[in-house]
Amino acid sequence: MFPDSSWYYEIPTTNAALLMVAAFVGFYWVGAVIVRPILRIFVRRAAGLNDLIGYILSCFCVFYGLLLGLIAVTAYQNVESAEQNVTREAAALSALYEDVSRYPEPYGQNLRLLIRDYTRYVIKYAWPLQQRGIIPEEGTIRAEALFDRLLDFQPSTPGEEILHAEALRQINHFLECRRLRLHSVKAGLPRAMWTVMFVGAFFNILLCWMFDTRFLTQLVLGGILAAYLGMMMYLIVDMNQPFRGEVSVSAEPFELLYQRMIED
Amino acid sequence: MPVPPDTLPHLPCRGAGLSRRGALQSGVAATLAASRVLAPSLFVGCSLGIPPRAPTVRIGLLHSQTGPLAIGSTSLRDVELDAVERFNAAGGVLGYHIDPRAPDPRSRTELFPVRAATLLDDGAVALFGCWSSASRKAVLPLLKERDSLLFYPVQYEGNETSRNVIYGGQVPNQQVLPALDWLRSGPGGERKKFFLLGSDYVYPRTTNFIVRKWLALTDATITGEEYLPFDQVDFAPVVARIVDSGADCILNTVNGAANIALFAALARAGVDRAKVAVVSTSLSEDDLRNMPAADSAGHWLLSSYFQTVDTPANAAWMAGFRREFGQERVFGDSMEAAWCLIQLWKAAVEKAGSFATEAVRQVFAGGIGFDGPGGKMTIDPATQHATKYFRLGRVRPDRLCDVVVSSDGPLAPDPYPQIAFPGWKCDWTKGGLQPGPEVSIDG
Repeated sequence: MFPDSSWYYEIPTTNAALLMVAAFVGFYWVGAVIVRPILRIFVRRAAGLNDLIGYILSCFCVFYGLLLGLIAVTAYQNVESAEQNVTREAAALSALYEDVSRYPEPYGQNLRLLIRDYTRYVIKYAWPLQQRGIIPEEGTIRAEALFDRLLDFQPSTPGEEILHAEALRQINHFLECRRLRLHSVKAGLPRAMWTVMFVGAFFNILLCWMFDTRFLTQLVLGGILAAYLGMMMYLIVDMNQPFRGEVSVSAEPFELLYQRMIED
Repeated sequence: MPVPPDTLPHLPCRGAGLSRRGALQSGVAATLAASRVLAPSLFVGCSLGIPPRAPTVRIGLLHSQTGPLAIGSTSLRDVELDAVERFNAAGGVLGYHIDPRAPDPRSRTELFPVRAATLLDDGAVALFGCWSSASRKAVLPLLKERDSLLFYPVQYEGNETSRNVIYGGQVPNQQVLPALDWLRSGPGGERKKFFLLGSDYVYPRTTNFIVRKWLALTDATITGEEYLPFDQVDFAPVVARIVDSGADCILNTVNGAANIALFAALARAGVDRAKVAVVSTSLSEDDLRNMPAADSAGHWLLSSYFQTVDTPANAAWMAGFRREFGQERVFGDSMEAAWCLIQLWKAAVEKAGSFATEAVRQVFAGGIGFDGPGGKMTIDPATQHATKYFRLGRVRPDRLCDVVVSSDGPLAPDPYPQIAFPGWKCDWTKGGLQPGPEVSIDG
């Protein structure tokens, strides 16, 4: 989102949802008190305008609902794709660990140690940074060290050549997944989408303010609509950055892998 | 045609049902009441439920993680990370969460000051690391300019004192000189022909300068002296020259990954380990994991600490580290020094009640020690160097070492052995460095 939104992702999920709903409902209610009397001056003079507003609102809601739905799906797919990348990265690392375990010593032991080092860094240091929307940099150093050490190995038998080729394939796959994970740390909906979403929400609320109904009815019905808009916004904002917030992509695949590595 | 407002059928009538003012009043009252009830539980302390975060202080870990020096220095980073994680788990230092940053100087001397400057620009209150003396010397001007402290955990050649460095490794009077004493004695094989082999930089050259001065006082001879680049891979020619020289002791000050090739060349040349003692000053058990066991078994390592040192403190330290970093981890001298130094930094900061360089330095000036895994380490206020045990170990087939010789207690540091640097003295408690006549290392 445009302003620095990092504080939002530190709020516990329930509180964040309540805050977003409260913000939308509060905005609607405040507007109903301040803006509605002004709008009503124009509306009350036109007979049948309520019907017209209702018609426009219905049409608008169809388009806006579609937009919100599609954006929510996109955001969810982003999360899912980030989750898959994390799983693939851990799987590639696991396969590489198995491959290098068959290397002659001291390469095998040394490479295993470097893979453990990388995995530990991802869990202990990279993940907390990702959760704050920061791309962790020191993992690159560890990945480079691993790659360099792997390239140091010169296979001396046909069996070792096959093993080495497979290990090189795995490390390239691992590096590719790693890059995708890092890319998704900052990934999110483009600014234009946020603009359209928030302007759309505002128009929605504006049309509701224009309805000429009893005040309490307006507060209740408009409040329900605003609350639902808030919920949708919460959902999209929460999923917009896959690694941020309480409910986000977890480091579990790496944790399971590391657990297995140190038990070896 | 406009419809008069009064004719609109669905407008609320004043007095019938709820008026707007009444609804507003009720709404405001209900909102206030709800806020009063819900706010404390939802938005604790107006923080929206965001968990409180301890203030953070950054430290810099300056260790090569790629290149020929990575072989030994990466483990130092791990030890320091382990220490920091334990500090943070126990509430941090002075209530501050410690944020360790570990950039990679890539084993390139010129990159050490660059990385150090970045760390200091990012607010690091202290630096831990450097490996070779060249890297340490490259950082010194920056440390002086910024008045920052470097905690240096590696044995080195001496001939240096700086107010901006706390030296945690051995100097020659705690390492090479006692070893030469023993090697020349009966139990040490009465060695008389020494070949001095090292990497081409300040540590091997200065150490060998001191060794030459010391051996000149005895009937021992130096059969050769050679220096090779860090990335040397072909040691066969130099090993052939060593064999031809008839040396019965090779004092090895080669640093980093080049040792792998050196030991392989020695094995290929069939150098008899019972007759020719290869005594390495810059290798530890941790470094040996990178070379085949057959290449290293039977050789000698000079160190202050070996993994096989049998003390409860050592056992506890190794167990804690392995729980985090894996059971197959091996421990070396510089790792132990790095552990002790970061513990000493914490103790000094807590005693000073501040992270400021001068406040921390004042604590070191008062003398401060730590019971480390290898024994007690105390920082000598006069030189800011550590008191260290002398130990000589022989490599076993499992790449660990049997401690063959050990000093009775920690030896006091002497960065300026008078046989090599006559007239040079340092006492930071009494005016600092008193230079003697200029000494030419190559002379």
